[in-house]
Amino acid sequence: MKRTGIFILLQILIIGIIFSCADRQDFDQFDDLTIVPDVEASLLYVETPERIINQVSGINFYTQTFNFDAFNEPFVEENILEGVITYEVENTTSKPLDITFEFLDEFGNSLDIEFFSIEAAPTAILTREIAYGPNGRSMDIIRNTSAIRVSAVNRGDNTSVSPLPEPTIYLRSSAQFSINLK
Amino acid sequence: MKRLRYLFWVFLIGSNLISAQNKEVLYDFLEIPESLLLNPGREVSYEWYAGVPFISGVYAAGATSGVTVNDLFAADGVDINQKVRERALNSLTKKDEVNGIFQIDILNGGFRGRNNPKNFYSFGLYTEGYVVNYWPQDLAFLAFDGNADQLGRRFDLSDLNSSGQMLNVFHFGINREINNKLTLGGRLKLYSAIVDYKSTSNKGYFLTDVGRDNLLVNTLSADVKVRSSGFNELFNLDDSGRSVTSLFTQRGFFGGDIGLGIDVGVTYYLNKQMLLTGSLLDLGMIYHTTDIVNYSLKGNASVEGVEVILPDALADPGADLWQDLVDEIEELLPFEENNDNYVTIRPVKLYSSFRYNFGKQAESQRSCDCDTQIDAPARNTAYLNSVGLQLFAINRPRGPQAALSGFYQRRFGNILALKTTYTVDKFSATNIGLGFSVQAGPVNVYLMGSNLLSYGNIADSNFAAFQLGLNIISWNLN
Repeated sequence: MKRTGIFILLQILIIGIIFSCADRQDFDQFDDLTIVPDVEASLLYVETPERIINQVSGINFYTQTFNFDAFNEPFVEENILEGVITYEVENTTSKPLDITFEFLDEFGNSLDIEFFSIEAAPTAILTREIAYGPNGRSMDIIRNTSAIRVSAVNRGDNTSVSPLPEPTIYLRSSAQFSINLK
Repeated sequence: MKRLRYLFWVFLIGSNLISAQNKEVLYDFLEIPESLLLNPGREVSYEWYAGVPFISGVYAAGATSGVTVNDLFAADGVDINQKVRERALNSLTKKDEVNGIFQIDILNGGFRGRNNPKNFYSFGLYTEGYVVNYWPQDLAFLAFDGNADQLGRRFDLSDLNSSGQMLNVFHFGINREINNKLTLGGRLKLYSAIVDYKSTSNKGYFLTDVGRDNLLVNTLSADVKVRSSGFNELFNLDDSGRSVTSLFTQRGFFGGDIGLGIDVGVTYYLNKQMLLTGSLLDLGMIYHTTDIVNYSLKGNASVEGVEVILPDALADPGADLWQDLVDEIEELLPFEENNDNYVTIRPVKLYSSFRYNFGKQAESQRSCDCDTQIDAPARNTAYLNSVGLQLFAINRPRGPQAALSGFYQRRFGNILALKTTYTVDKFSATNIGLGFSVQAGPVNVYLMGSNLLSYGNIADSNFAAFQLGLNIISWNLN
């Protein structure tokens, strides 16, 4: 009787360990796993006081091209899927202004333009979201962007002064993109 | 892709090390010579023993404290992305561990001193490897969800906590019966490390918030270090034309990083039937000098994109503002690589137990008809039954962790011994272990497993371990 008990215990252990079983696993599912985080960061910030606008003769008071390699870094270029660029223009100066935000490729060719026309203060902050990807403009614009050109045109005069404190034109922007990590 | 898959498995394949390193069934299993490795001060009744090379002690363990392999990879028709989201991302915390360990005795033997029979000497060599990972909760969310729409949320960089090591351990131990009540033991260990990595003391955070000037500000405050030895050459074996075996053999036999450690142990009889045991294992360190590659990222940087503030920007209209921004970040947050030697402390393990023996064996049951007569069973093995408690603790990067086991051992003459354990730790409350040792003449075979209730579907187990071995044991001097 005692020996029977021993052998039953041994059988439980041996069979349990050697012939332990497992439900069917499908490790190929790993290939279907997708990791696509949405990342966001500020893009470009331009701030111009009204006194600078007044000092510049002519209506085009500011134009500058910035090297901008964030989008065409190899990893980003290969894995960026879609996204949104958000612009915000705030004008506390006494002048109506036109702002142009232009994406350029490495040869200086224009890929995309965003134009903002904002009235003299007091005026609301102008906010605009531009989508890129399947539900928006071509992602090739983003992938091929190597520089950004910002131009500002004064549609007013060069003498008026806003009654607001520290009158300034602000251009703010940020980008939110989906990146395919796997 | 392959590296990503590898990293994924590193996080999922293993076990929590508290369970994986706790060999609760083997501890104080006096019929099995390998238990001397867990307590060099245990009672030893053999004249000599010799482990069969490579199979005298084979141990492997795997478990997870949160998610199981089955949770993610069961062929259940549920989208794996949904399973990862629900069962890993939304369930695991930074306290969860996913680790694994193996240990193989290459050589193991012992003999009683001729001039002083109270001394028993043991020696051997084993290979050990482990990976310890805590679930990097915040970094996992950052990887899967990103920082978008997470204003004000700090992603904690200290969640990155991982270490691993593979090494050979050469050991020589002395066990001495001081008197009828007390047995002491110690073991000297020489470590020959093959590969090692560690990133366990990280600090800092990544934060996205409303910007002061621009729409957003991204802040990275980091003090992150990764130290490694032995991987650079391993990852470039194709270029060198060398095999993994050749590389590991060279490093495992003192051609790599060298370290020194000790084990100590004790057995103390409170009376004829009750005793206490205890041991401290791997009090040691390794000095890493081979193929070192260390990385660090330390500093603070806040970025609001490229900023153009007139009239200051007009001073240098041709400036490359993007490159200036990149340079500024790299200056504030230098990512550095060096080859500085470093020291690792071995994870110290503590075992202790209280044992009560009862049901004395009859003399007839204490002998057998074997060719090799078993002549001098230990005081413990003179009893049919043993019951008691065992405590295990291990020093982990986030503080000590402990496991408590209750055990019952039953002997059937000197042929067969069975031991069963019930273990509770932070990861499992249903861990039942069972092991047996069979003595067929001089041949000792043992097999043991932990968390047996999980063997019905081992893929759904949070912890599973097995150990087996084959030894030749002699109780006779002649």
